[in-house]
Amino acid sequence: MSDTNRLLSRRNVLRATGAATVGMLAGCNGGDGDDEDELEIVHWWTAGGEQDAIEALIDGFEEEYPDVPVSNNPAPGGAGSALDTEIQSRVLNENPPSTFQIWPGKAMDTYTESDVLADIGDSVWDSEMEDAYLDGVKELAKDDDGNYVAVPLNIHRLNNLFYNVEVLESAGIDPSELSSPADLLDAMETIASDTDATPMAHQTQAPWSTIQLWENVLIGMEGVDTYLDVLDGNVSANETAVRDALQMVADYSEYFNEDAGSVAWDQANTGVIQGNAAFLHQGDWAAGQYKSAEDFEFESDWNYVPFPGTAEVYHVVTDSFVMPEPNPSPDATEQWLSYCGSVAGQEAFNPIKGSIPPRTDVPDDEFGPFLTAQREDFNNSTAQPPSIAHGTGVTPEVKSNVEGVFSTFNGDWNIGPAYNGLTDAFDV
Amino acid sequence: MRSPISLLRGDSGAGRSADDEPSVRADGGTVAESGSEDGPIESARSRISDSEFVRSMPFWVPAGLLTALFVYGAIGWNFLISLTDWSGLGDPNYGSLDLGNYGEFFAEAWSGDWLFGFVPIPVNGPQEYWALRNTIVLLVLFTVVALIVGLLLAILVDRNIRFENTFRTIYLLPMSLSFVVTALFWSWMYNPTSGMINEVLQMVGLGGLTMQWISDPQTKLFAVIFALIWQFSGYCMVVYLAGLRAIPTDQYEAAKVDGANLLKMYWRVIVPQLRASTVSAAVVLMVFALKAFDFLYVMFGTRPGQSADILAMMMYRESFGVTNWAYGSTIAMILFALALGIVAPYLYYEYQRGEL
Repeated sequence: MSDTNRLLSRRNVLRATGAATVGMLAGCNGGDGDDEDELEIVHWWTAGGEQDAIEALIDGFEEEYPDVPVSNNPAPGGAGSALDTEIQSRVLNENPPSTFQIWPGKAMDTYTESDVLADIGDSVWDSEMEDAYLDGVKELAKDDDGNYVAVPLNIHRLNNLFYNVEVLESAGIDPSELSSPADLLDAMETIASDTDATPMAHQTQAPWSTIQLWENVLIGMEGVDTYLDVLDGNVSANETAVRDALQMVADYSEYFNEDAGSVAWDQANTGVIQGNAAFLHQGDWAAGQYKSAEDFEFESDWNYVPFPGTAEVYHVVTDSFVMPEPNPSPDATEQWLSYCGSVAGQEAFNPIKGSIPPRTDVPDDEFGPFLTAQREDFNNSTAQPPSIAHGTGVTPEVKSNVEGVFSTFNGDWNIGPAYNGLTDAFDV
Repeated sequence: MRSPISLLRGDSGAGRSADDEPSVRADGGTVAESGSEDGPIESARSRISDSEFVRSMPFWVPAGLLTALFVYGAIGWNFLISLTDWSGLGDPNYGSLDLGNYGEFFAEAWSGDWLFGFVPIPVNGPQEYWALRNTIVLLVLFTVVALIVGLLLAILVDRNIRFENTFRTIYLLPMSLSFVVTALFWSWMYNPTSGMINEVLQMVGLGGLTMQWISDPQTKLFAVIFALIWQFSGYCMVVYLAGLRAIPTDQYEAAKVDGANLLKMYWRVIVPQLRASTVSAAVVLMVFALKAFDFLYVMFGTRPGQSADILAMMMYRESFGVTNWAYGSTIAMILFALALGIVAPYLYYEYQRGEL
């Protein structure tokens, strides 16, 4: 009697645990009860001004398309480090979001190779939009077959040389007279000998800042065509050019702040704000830091020139949104992408982000004096080359290899291994 | 509770206890009755259902299944992926499986300069070489030095000092902090212009020793190892302290009576008895060393440079940076083999001592 009871209860226990296990496993597949037409936007803009900018863009979109429910889903992490991981695993699970932020150009290679991104040439890129974009940017928005797959939303300029006005005056240097990377080296020598300031604020903790400096030195010394040829993988054909540019960067490194290897770029930049450093080579997002610094005004305290030798070039760093397939909300995604490519959308987003709109027909009113000057440079620029450090110019694999080369070059400034590393880096 | 291994191993043992039980139960009469009426099949059934193995199932089957699926299943699948050529965002092709990725990894790693393996000279080896080399250097150096520092601290704390508890807490505290906190903290300490380390060196007149600790490729890895030792020697101290407390005071007294000085007493009498503590602390430390990813990631991002690159970092870059899933899995399996190589001898050692 008692035995039967125990047997029964034992069976029940087994049944119950079995059921519980199955239930737990089933739970793994649940949790995807999303609205079908909801527009899910994944992006990495979570820091102060960036967050305000994307919210302004979403607000504008909701005003224009009030019946589209929007789900704002940020994946924080600098330059998309966390976003990539999330998007890739969701694409592999065939559950991508409606749209996500990505650097256009070669950075999309991973996705275009697997045909994940929809061709939006007909649905989004109408002739009105095409006319408003410059060629260099339009090229970035296309995949290898020449189909439009992305909508560039903003443009940062990479080839800026920011400077502290007071420091340069005390060293007697007129930055507008610097016409080549070698001139900049001479100027830094003067600053080092005549003032107490660090000639150039820089960071070498992560490789990207030195990569972009090398990119600009290369353009400044050898011109855009050589640079683009190197991007195409012809490193050894341009051996002298590549080596000379590396050597110039190594010479610059003598004039970096001593703690370059232990700080982030914005920490280094405080040197320029406090008058302890003269120059900073950085994308124009650095201007945002000057803007928020107290008693530090454009033109009277800080100013910029295009990086010496690159005056007619607008070295483009841009973000875009794309349409992954299978898309959970095709209509809403197309509406979103059209809005990102519209005057209204770019006017809402860019002044807050501190970038210029890729469309040339957005009115200037909302942009401050600095961005207005940048826009003028952009509209007059003869070339808009893409970047290695910011993903648009090379495939993710090449970018990763180049980062590997510069993570070592950053510490030892050794030209030979760096050059060999670069020839291997492009050889994939 | 007995472990599943002994349950499986002791099949005969389980059978024996099943045999024992009916004889006990025969006193109650129920089993004997049913046995005589329903014949051998029923008795076999009751023997199975009464066996310790079956009766213990509710306790270990659910957890066992979950672990099998989510831990061992995932490891197995990871191994399978490492045999493919999967990259990009397509589906893996399980049709052609081979060890090509492992061959590639070790061919690359071996092509580096192993003669001077422990001298950080800036030679131009592939990333596999640097990652593997740094992982091994980190593993060995960190474990050995952390153990020595921990032992010394434990001996000091054990000498009936005042504020013993306070010191113990202070030494153990870094261990309770996350890698994110300690990495940020140490990147400030190592700052060459405003960091503590260089400031102190200058203050005591050793200005010549100041370095760019975490940007100079010569010192990068050692700066990281030093910070990790700081964080984990407290843990070693606690393990050793427990070991020291387990040694009877008679032995200290006996050594003193025999005329051993302090050094000799510890070296000859006490330390040799701490073998078990050493082994268990070392295993934990080595596993932590393999996971130093977080620390490096916070300090340098995914690119610490070849002088401080480790396998875990390279695995992350290969998988999520450039979507070389198969190669990333290969590195994961190599890391797994390293961890297993450390833990397995320990488990065997414990098993032989009958403590498992």
